[in-house]
Amino acid sequence: MREGATRRVRSSRRRGRPVSAAGAWALRLGLFVFCAFPLYWMVVSSFKVSHELLAAPPTLVPHEWDLRAYRKLFLETNFWTYFQNTVIVAAITTVIVIVAGVIGAYGLTRYAFPGRTLVARLTLLAYMFPPIIMLVPLFLLAREFGLTNSLLGLALTYISFALPYALWILRAFFQSIPVELEHAALVDGANRAQALAYIVMPLALPGIIATAIFTFIVAWNDFLFALVLIGKDDLKTLAIGINDFFHMAVVDWGLIMAAGVMVTIPALVFFVAVQRYLIAGWGAGGVKG
Amino acid sequence: MWRRRRDALIGMGLLLPSAALVFAFTLFPVGYNVWLGFYAKHSLRATSTWVGLGNYAQLLVDPDFWRSVWLATVYAVASTTLQIVAGVAGALILHRRFPGCDFLRGVALFPYMIPTIIAVFVWRWLMNDLYGVIPYLLGTLAIPGMPEAWLTHSTIMWVLVVLSVWTFFPFVLVNVLARLQTIPPELYDAARVDGASAFRQFLNVTLPQLRNVLLIVLLLRGIWMFTKFDVPWLLGFGGGAGEAIRTLPVFTYQRSFTYYQAGMGAALSNVMLALLLMAVTLYFVAFPPEADENDA
Repeated sequence: MREGATRRVRSSRRRGRPVSAAGAWALRLGLFVFCAFPLYWMVVSSFKVSHELLAAPPTLVPHEWDLRAYRKLFLETNFWTYFQNTVIVAAITTVIVIVAGVIGAYGLTRYAFPGRTLVARLTLLAYMFPPIIMLVPLFLLAREFGLTNSLLGLALTYISFALPYALWILRAFFQSIPVELEHAALVDGANRAQALAYIVMPLALPGIIATAIFTFIVAWNDFLFALVLIGKDDLKTLAIGINDFFHMAVVDWGLIMAAGVMVTIPALVFFVAVQRYLIAGWGAGGVKG
Repeated sequence: MWRRRRDALIGMGLLLPSAALVFAFTLFPVGYNVWLGFYAKHSLRATSTWVGLGNYAQLLVDPDFWRSVWLATVYAVASTTLQIVAGVAGALILHRRFPGCDFLRGVALFPYMIPTIIAVFVWRWLMNDLYGVIPYLLGTLAIPGMPEAWLTHSTIMWVLVVLSVWTFFPFVLVNVLARLQTIPPELYDAARVDGASAFRQFLNVTLPQLRNVLLIVLLLRGIWMFTKFDVPWLLGFGGGAGEAIRTLPVFTYQRSFTYYQAGMGAALSNVMLALLLMAVTLYFVAFPPEADENDA
């Protein structure tokens, strides 16, 4: 009876193999096309000459490759300024959030004090807050303190949703590092700072890097707060600068796609370079958005 | 004893910078917003008038408000459901190792990493009424009743949903994939010996194991899709069809910065906050979290 069942299972597995292998590859291909085709289309559109861009039917591979859109992007728009502004804002946000977040998450996981559970729950709640519910108050407060049209002001508003997120994720990372390792180091005669520098930090580093990247991306991607807080053209970030391309007399799709490529490349390079850290971070909750 | 107290002080001291920042930039603004909801206030001028529950009373009888709630609900339900389906399917596809697996995992995460504005503009271009490649490809299929233009009143919501699924399903994929990797293979061996089909194995082994992660993903994605501003705004502006995707967050933005009604904008944000708190409370009552060993 049992043997019969086992044999049945085996034979059905063997029979199913070539079909299911082909099916599995079809599914993988489907996933690939779904994710990659829009990006492929962005890239080829950015290299087409104007008349080919608007040709019907559209050409899947450009007949003629052309850098017109990129020349226009760098020579006739403020793209480079927007790029620098975005890097500055994202860097300020990331530094503040990671320094405060690492110290805070360490304190939260390694020392017992009254109200600790409450703090952890409030952090989780704040992590869920979407940016739109802080739109009006942060705008009014920024105006009150003269922080509109200021890259620092923009970075400070990003703290409002990046820090709770970072605290929550870092807390999970520090929790996963056994306290016993630190205790062992202390027993062996190390002091607390040494235990932190030589035991905890190396283990926590992947998590810290992943969190830093996510924080950077949150700031890099924001559209809403840049839209309401920045009006001066030379202070605009990429999101609102590229948005302005849409308000030109004639919408230049080649230009917009070229801008898309130029914004995506740094993210891509970053992403490939640190992919193994990213997987660790994803497992702990993923980026907010 | 003194050592315990010293530890508590150090812990609180370490937490102080974060706590101060979260209080100043997150909790205080949310509290300030609750208070602002009771005022009629111009977004740019300093004057404000106490109106009590006036803003909320006005919303109750505003058909545009109810319409925006309805649109946000349609958008959140449709895009969250499809994201979860696509995310679980993607995770199952990427779960077992195969040649090129790491590459495909990277590609699958990418839509989530590119800035929202790029994702939306690429899709506006893909779906362009005159030059879009997707309407062209769909047109070649010659399916009767297929719309020729998609960024119109009657169909733009579909474009919004598909675009949102494309952008946000990797969030589901990664969380589910991380959980899948921890399911003991013995469970599947046992099911196989019992003669369970692949579909039965998914239903009886995989799904129960994924239950918790799916619930939290559903909560987070549901909240974030309901309150998503940039995607519908960037897809809809500059065209008459934007009205068909004027969800609650877009409505809130317009009240605050097109009509400069900051008090009303704050009241609308408070409506979203209240809904969020209700959803979270319901979630934790229905699915109480297991005691956290570190919270003792």
